[in-house]
Amino acid sequence: MQPEQQLKASLKEIGDLKAALDEHAIVAITDPRGRITYVNDKFCAISQYSRDELIGQDHRVINSGHHPKEFIQDLWSTIGRGKVWKGEIKNRAKDGSFYWVDTTIVPFLNDDGKPRQYIAIRADITERKRTEDQLRASFKEINDLKAALDEHAIVAITDPQGKITYVNDKFCAISKYSRGELIGQDHRVINSAHHPKEFIQGLWSTIGRGKVWKGEIKNRAKDGSFYWVDTTIVPFLNDDGKPRQYVAIRADITERKKAEEKVLQLNAQLEQRVAERTAELEAFSYSISHDLRAPLRAMGGFARMLQEDFGAELPPEASRLLERIHVNAMKMGLLIDGLLAFSRLSRQPLNKSKISPGAVVNRVLEELQSETEGRNVKITVGNLPACQADATLLHQVFMNLISNALKYSRRRDPAIIEIGSGEENGHCVYSIKDNGAGFEMKYAHNLFGVFQRLHRAEQFEGTGVGLAIVRRIIHRHGGRIWAVAEPEKGATFHFTLEGENNHV
Amino acid sequence: MSNEAVEILLVEDSPDDVAFLVRTFNKANLTARLHVVADGKEALDYIFCTGDYATRNNGNQPKVIFLDMKMPKVGGLEVLRRLKSDPTTQSIPVVALSSSNEERDLIESYRYGVNSYIVKPMDFDQFAKTIRSMGQYWLELNQTPKL
Repeated sequence: MQPEQQLKASLKEIGDLKAALDEHAIVAITDPRGRITYVNDKFCAISQYSRDELIGQDHRVINSGHHPKEFIQDLWSTIGRGKVWKGEIKNRAKDGSFYWVDTTIVPFLNDDGKPRQYIAIRADITERKRTEDQLRASFKEINDLKAALDEHAIVAITDPQGKITYVNDKFCAISKYSRGELIGQDHRVINSAHHPKEFIQGLWSTIGRGKVWKGEIKNRAKDGSFYWVDTTIVPFLNDDGKPRQYVAIRADITERKKAEEKVLQLNAQLEQRVAERTAELEAFSYSISHDLRAPLRAMGGFARMLQEDFGAELPPEASRLLERIHVNAMKMGLLIDGLLAFSRLSRQPLNKSKISPGAVVNRVLEELQSETEGRNVKITVGNLPACQADATLLHQVFMNLISNALKYSRRRDPAIIEIGSGEENGHCVYSIKDNGAGFEMKYAHNLFGVFQRLHRAEQFEGTGVGLAIVRRIIHRHGGRIWAVAEPEKGATFHFTLEGENNHV
Repeated sequence: MSNEAVEILLVEDSPDDVAFLVRTFNKANLTARLHVVADGKEALDYIFCTGDYATRNNGNQPKVIFLDMKMPKVGGLEVLRRLKSDPTTQSIPVVALSSSNEERDLIESYRYGVNSYIVKPMDFDQFAKTIRSMGQYWLELNQTPKL
């Protein structure tokens, strides 16, 4: 081949190589001072500058400001010394967006060894850089999460066979085992033997099927003490769906468990104590009802016998005194009866059903008919809405309140008694009003106490138990009772059967 | 011990109550054949002719037993249970006398087959009236199978 032809062939080959290079890479050529003398199409495309805007400029036109001064100095010092420089550079395109290029700069030298020009060949690595950044960010986030989790929870990881492959510091702290003592063991090392076999089997069968297991586990620490952990075990699966490893995250609930046990224990104790007290109270009132009555009956009885057998021989004053003994014995009998009735109320279970108070009042009025004989009594019964109550006990309430109204209005002509209802805070309020003796409101707080009386026995007989019984019944229904009165004008008793939380 | 048939057996440990009851039966002319025993054990000995009453003729059972429920050692309920579970004595009417109307005493007594349950009235006059009418009813009106 002729030298000319050879030259031609070489030039063609070089031209081909350049075309291939331009197809593949971002190419720029600068003079020794760094001024751009050539850019290929890919350079223009990525930098978004036209060739005209680039030729004659130096690379500062695409400087991103990302790299430190030293980086740039190192580049220039390397290629200035005729050495190839390789590195990753972040550049700025015309529209302000950034791109990364993997860069090789080859200096071409004069005969005197000074750089004649630099050829920079670059590959676009923007996408790779972005992925790397994202990966780095994800990795950092995972690390942050792990750090936070380790701070918060007791964490362990086991392999599919249950052998511990990882524990965090909190796991070591609560179990009192060192990491070295735990890794490679299975969880039997902290087994408390508290849970039945089925419990453990249930756990393994759940996570073995790839399902999350949650539960509370009692474990045993190295020193033999026990601790409770609220546990979530999450299985992580292979591509074939088999567990690859299990991550167990636990929270220490020992204190809560202790508190729960304490509450249960206290409840049991309380129930026991209530049962004991109730039994004592029952024995007490049983004893009262039998043992206190017998001597009373004897006292009254012997006074009576003395009167019957020797009355004729006794001076009238002696007979009068005997009568006083008899009357007082009877009175004490009534007091005992009242006390027993009152204490029985606490033991008797409530038997609630739907009741029509109107029917109850009518029955009470029938039973009290003898009280009104020979008296001018006007009784009106208004609308009495139905309620949920114990029939016997509600009867007792109306009986006591209406017979009180009759008793304290004994000196009125006519005695006026009004039985009716109203509403307060959405609850029905029943009321019994009389025009009788009434009382001073400043003594109202004594009204419902056991054996508390606001009138002397000579004025109005009574034991002072009736209203105490009424209040106890109403409280047991969850209701409230109160009275409004004025001396010599009368009294009104109001009550509800619901709306209060005063179980007695 | 007399082998004559008694009509009323009174089982009562309280001397006071015995005094009232005897006096009341007396006044109602019902004391002719009254026998008093002071506790449950003696009551059982009397009825089943054992112990101190081993020689008593058990063909002569009382027409009615007034039984105090609250007695030491063998209580009224136990006497009642023994009487009512024995075919030879179960048809003898038993009137329980109690100081109280405690519900559980009533329930137990009727479960064992008591024929009547009386709460001793606090008032003496009332007490006397009650006992008198009880005596008359069980001795004069009530019929029991011939043994």
